[in-house]
Amino acid sequence: MNAPLLQIDDLRVSVAGTAVLHGVSLTVRAGEVHAIMGPNGSGKSTLAHVLAGRPGYTITGGAVRFDGTDLLAMAPEERARAGLFLGFQYPVEIAGVNNAYLLKAALNARRRQRGEAEIDAFDFLNMVRAKMRVMQIDEALLTRGVNEGFSGGEKKRNEILQMLVLEPRLAVLDETDSGLDIDALKVVGRGINTLRSPDRAVALVTHYQRLLDHVVPDQVHVLARGRIVRSGDRELALELERRGYDWLLEAAAAVA
Amino acid sequence: MSALERLLGEFEAQPAPAGARLAAAQALRTHGLPTRREENWRYANLRALEGVARFLPAAPPAPGTRLPPLPEALAGYTRLVFVDGRLTTAWPQPDAAQITRLPMDAAVAGDAAATMFETTGDGRMGLIARLFAPDPLSLRIAGPAALELIFVTTSGAAGSYAEIAIEIATGAQVALVERHLGCAAATLPPEAPASLNCSNLRLRLAADAQLRHTRLQQAAGNALHYHTLSASLGDRGSYSLAHISAGDGSDRSSAQIRLQGREATVRIRALAAACDSGIADAQFTVLHEAPGTRSDQLFRGIASDRAHISCSADVQVLPGAPGSRVLQSLRGLIDGKGAEVNLRPRLTIDTDDIQAAHGATTGRLDEDLLFYLLSRGLEPAAARSLLKWAFLGEAFGAIEPPALRRAAELAAAARLSDAPATELLQ
Repeated sequence: MNAPLLQIDDLRVSVAGTAVLHGVSLTVRAGEVHAIMGPNGSGKSTLAHVLAGRPGYTITGGAVRFDGTDLLAMAPEERARAGLFLGFQYPVEIAGVNNAYLLKAALNARRRQRGEAEIDAFDFLNMVRAKMRVMQIDEALLTRGVNEGFSGGEKKRNEILQMLVLEPRLAVLDETDSGLDIDALKVVGRGINTLRSPDRAVALVTHYQRLLDHVVPDQVHVLARGRIVRSGDRELALELERRGYDWLLEAAAAVA
Repeated sequence: MSALERLLGEFEAQPAPAGARLAAAQALRTHGLPTRREENWRYANLRALEGVARFLPAAPPAPGTRLPPLPEALAGYTRLVFVDGRLTTAWPQPDAAQITRLPMDAAVAGDAAATMFETTGDGRMGLIARLFAPDPLSLRIAGPAALELIFVTTSGAAGSYAEIAIEIATGAQVALVERHLGCAAATLPPEAPASLNCSNLRLRLAADAQLRHTRLQQAAGNALHYHTLSASLGDRGSYSLAHISAGDGSDRSSAQIRLQGREATVRIRALAAACDSGIADAQFTVLHEAPGTRSDQLFRGIASDRAHISCSADVQVLPGAPGSRVLQSLRGLIDGKGAEVNLRPRLTIDTDDIQAAHGATTGRLDEDLLFYLLSRGLEPAAARSLLKWAFLGEAFGAIEPPALRRAAELAAAARLSDAPATELLQ
């Protein structure tokens, strides 16, 4: 069994004085895909953003190690350069910063971290174009502002494109499937599967199991009321699809 | 004794003032200088005017006086260099066959609208330039031409004044570059008194005339700048103004653009970048006076450290201007604990059947955008500079040729607390 890539122990988080995560524990090993599911307000996005280092959250307890290092002690950019990628549920638009520039700057930041030389401009373009074809993204979007004027589907595909370019060790994808039509879901699923390898891991945060038709998870966890209340294999996602979350919420309430 | 009394006293002590200069003195005596009690001057640095020791223009520079290095010439442009307000370029220039020099008094007398702006409106500081400009320059441009005006100063103790009137004939296409370089930083000690720089530029575009105008204020040193601009456009006249305020010291620009002819169009791209305790204050008034006229105004400003930036943008659509279109977008970024940005958009509509959109926002760097870039591994300083550069980007778009755009970008970049990466510059 591979060593843990991400080890979360009893993580407790509050936002503006309100506790949101009440002790989350989770282990993700290299080569694995984990799906984190749960109803609205269960703390899924909070967990994703805390892992990426977003300001505004207070860690009130617990620990997170990423590849053996204390993740919570790292700045957001250090986490990214160490190989953690957050796919945003609502990718921001940045007018005036073109996609190609951001991709190259981000990639070179990672390369510098690994002691590698900055990528040659020609090699970069060839590599990005190949990955854009995988994601069925029009090359013209490279010279546009980051997500500027993109459709919802284009924004999500652009997030996965960034992930493919940066080749993170751990990708945390926060509801990447929301707002996607069936075809776009397939494309996004293909992109995620492209990243799967024995030395990488993916944590998919999602409401629905439909993305899991395309990206089959090794483990499924249900986060409810700030705790992981059930873990299982893909069958658990299918059961949630049939029964909803209420039965688990009731069970969680009984435990609490 | 007030600055006004002193400057009028110095003016009257000169031998035999006459013509437009005398009228300017009379107008100043009657209407006075602007004060901060006036809404359009609330954020201007007028107090510093009281500290000016001497208003008379600098004496001609002694032979061998070291001038600031001039930027490389722009290909295809006729360059005129003003040193302390004195035209040092021989005239006429062989490559300026389309340009004729005219008497200034006639140009002043022939533009009543500009005169009103200068006497009772926000153009009063332009009258100081008229009082003292040693080489007023009035030009008529009959055909395609490209003109570069360079202003440098050699003295921190005396004023530098320029008055220029340009009339562009029917159908002529003109590119005009105005660069205020100030004094070479090395030639003035840091404790030197603030130098006073006043310019007054009048533009008249006949029917179908087109003007692309770039004004770049990048003066180093402790300088006071007061620039006044008035422009009037005839039928289908087209005026594009790129205004970049990126100097040290304090800068006030007052502009009035009158769309007098049918379907006349003005496009303003203004940018201000100020740091330390710099002040950049811009005021634009656009008057839609004829049917089918269009104005498109964009302002972007970043105030760092303790700098103050303000922009007052006043668009008036008068009763005779149905079918007009107005776009106005003002945005400011506060990037320092003591920094301040004041934006004042105003839109007055006195006619039916117009399309107008305007908005103004001031704030600090968007934390969501910043986190997005950090989450991609960018260093915080690199992320901040990238966002600031993107913020200013739209305002650079109007600047041509590329060499001038690069100069404008470098000047602005020097006023930001996080310098942009080299590859972001043109």
